[in-house]
Amino acid sequence: MRHPQDDQLALFAGGDLGLLDRLRLRGHVRGCDACRRSVESYRSAAARLREETAKLPAGLKWDSLAAEMTANIRVGLAAGECVAGVTSKPALMTWKPALAVLALTLVVLSGWWLNFPQEQRANLARGMQGIWNRDARNVPDPTVYLEANRAGIQLRENGSAMTLMHPDRAPSVISVSTQGAMRARYVDSDTGQVTITNVYAQ
Amino acid sequence: MSTRSKFASGVLGLSTALMFAQAPETQGSLKIDFPKDSPVTLVSADWGQSRPTSRGGAVILDLHSQLSLRNSSARRIRGVTLIVLAQEVTPGGKGSVSVPSLDIAPGETFPIRIDLRLLRPVQGGDSMPVSVGLDGVLFDDLTFFGPNRLNSRRSMTVWELEAQRDRQYFKSVIERAGAEGLQKEMLAALGRVTDRPQGGVQMVRGRATNYEPEREMQFASLQFPGAPVEPLGGVAHISGNEARAPRLEIRNRSTKPVRYLEIGWIVEDQQGREFLAGSVPAEVNLAPGQKSQVLQDTALRFTDRTGIKGMTAFVNNVEYSDGRFWIPNRTDLSSERMRHIVAPSAEEQRLVQIYRKRGLKALVEELKKF
Repeated sequence: MRHPQDDQLALFAGGDLGLLDRLRLRGHVRGCDACRRSVESYRSAAARLREETAKLPAGLKWDSLAAEMTANIRVGLAAGECVAGVTSKPALMTWKPALAVLALTLVVLSGWWLNFPQEQRANLARGMQGIWNRDARNVPDPTVYLEANRAGIQLRENGSAMTLMHPDRAPSVISVSTQGAMRARYVDSDTGQVTITNVYAQ
Repeated sequence: MSTRSKFASGVLGLSTALMFAQAPETQGSLKIDFPKDSPVTLVSADWGQSRPTSRGGAVILDLHSQLSLRNSSARRIRGVTLIVLAQEVTPGGKGSVSVPSLDIAPGETFPIRIDLRLLRPVQGGDSMPVSVGLDGVLFDDLTFFGPNRLNSRRSMTVWELEAQRDRQYFKSVIERAGAEGLQKEMLAALGRVTDRPQGGVQMVRGRATNYEPEREMQFASLQFPGAPVEPLGGVAHISGNEARAPRLEIRNRSTKPVRYLEIGWIVEDQQGREFLAGSVPAEVNLAPGQKSQVLQDTALRFTDRTGIKGMTAFVNNVEYSDGRFWIPNRTDLSSERMRHIVAPSAEEQRLVQIYRKRGLKALVEELKKF
């Protein structure tokens, strides 16, 4: 059996380990008498320390003492780096930042897709299909679509579109000519003026 | 800033740029160009709400314009058609905006509204020049001015003939049954406008898009007694909710040669509801008594729920070789079936709107003007 390091056991006893390490050590300590005793001794030492600190002399400025200790530790670390000349390796990406990047990527992709014009989706799908089939040629789609949608009468060809839009009211009559034209008729509710929009595909 | 923070900031910046980036300004890409001898002149053009935006992988240009035009001719104008071109965006397409049923005296001004949206992939460039020009003007004596690139002379003449027919009909109603009779007609027309079935339809040209098994379906013929051309039948290829390549046989039963006709195409769905799916126009050279075929290599795709059970063809309008026209009369269109299927004319809709907004008296006054 491989036992955890003492510093790991000390951190475990103080409840200062991360979630995964804490679970791992808890499993080991349950089955290992020696380590459990170590953990208990750390905990009792910590309890004693808390008792002693409760008995600190009156008038002690704990905040300034703590600041002085922190400064001393930093000086010590800086001196150690100067002497050893050791360059610390940049920390590798752990799972947390990777998850954050993944979530952000999903947000970006969702935003992009929701913002992507409906008329362009077929064109994008055709492009993706070309990449999938390793067909580098950019062959234009010869199909021309004419349709009346919520926005107006639309001509769509090869990823581009022209729409003669409905004014602020829905058309009263829409008609199609098989020669390649679509027509919408509107009547102005105030003036009665009739407007007819046509879109022609050739 | 740590490497991690820099990376996160980069991704965030890129996403913001992708979602909210604005395309370069395209001011100056709009051009209004009328012929020098045009009978209508541009008084003002307001492009106030026009703006380009970038969305996903595309640049979108929304044009909202209100043009004010003046009749600078010496005759009354009955209709105007403007042509809208954006050839760099949709090389195979054109648009037009027509205003029929006008009665514009010399010197008077009238508005035309153009609401246009253009979309092109970002890699296609930022420039989206749009040109608006005059395609034609129709006068009260049915003479025409304009380049007629969209055959607007024909459409506007048919609309004006329909307007004359309907005004004449409503005047005869006043003579026969008074204002009360006209009111009944208006209420019936209102019902027709709101109750008329209108199936969603898409026109596809270039390739078959439906892979369901295909079958041929025969057209039934609907004859108008006075029509110079009669449909003799025909077929279309049906596949799922798509009808493709209509082929119709026709015969000129008049004494004059015919150069153009439009056939109305009625579709009956599985529930027995009928609606006007479209029209099949054809340039022909049809001598008296001669038969011919009309073919169109296009597909009409209906909404997903529309199963096609039957089809009927009827002649909608005819142009003789001498430039005169035939349109169905009010009796031809008065059957319950046709009243339900065929839309009221633009003029009838205008008159109905006058009745709704300004009342019976104003409508009677309007009819007296013509």
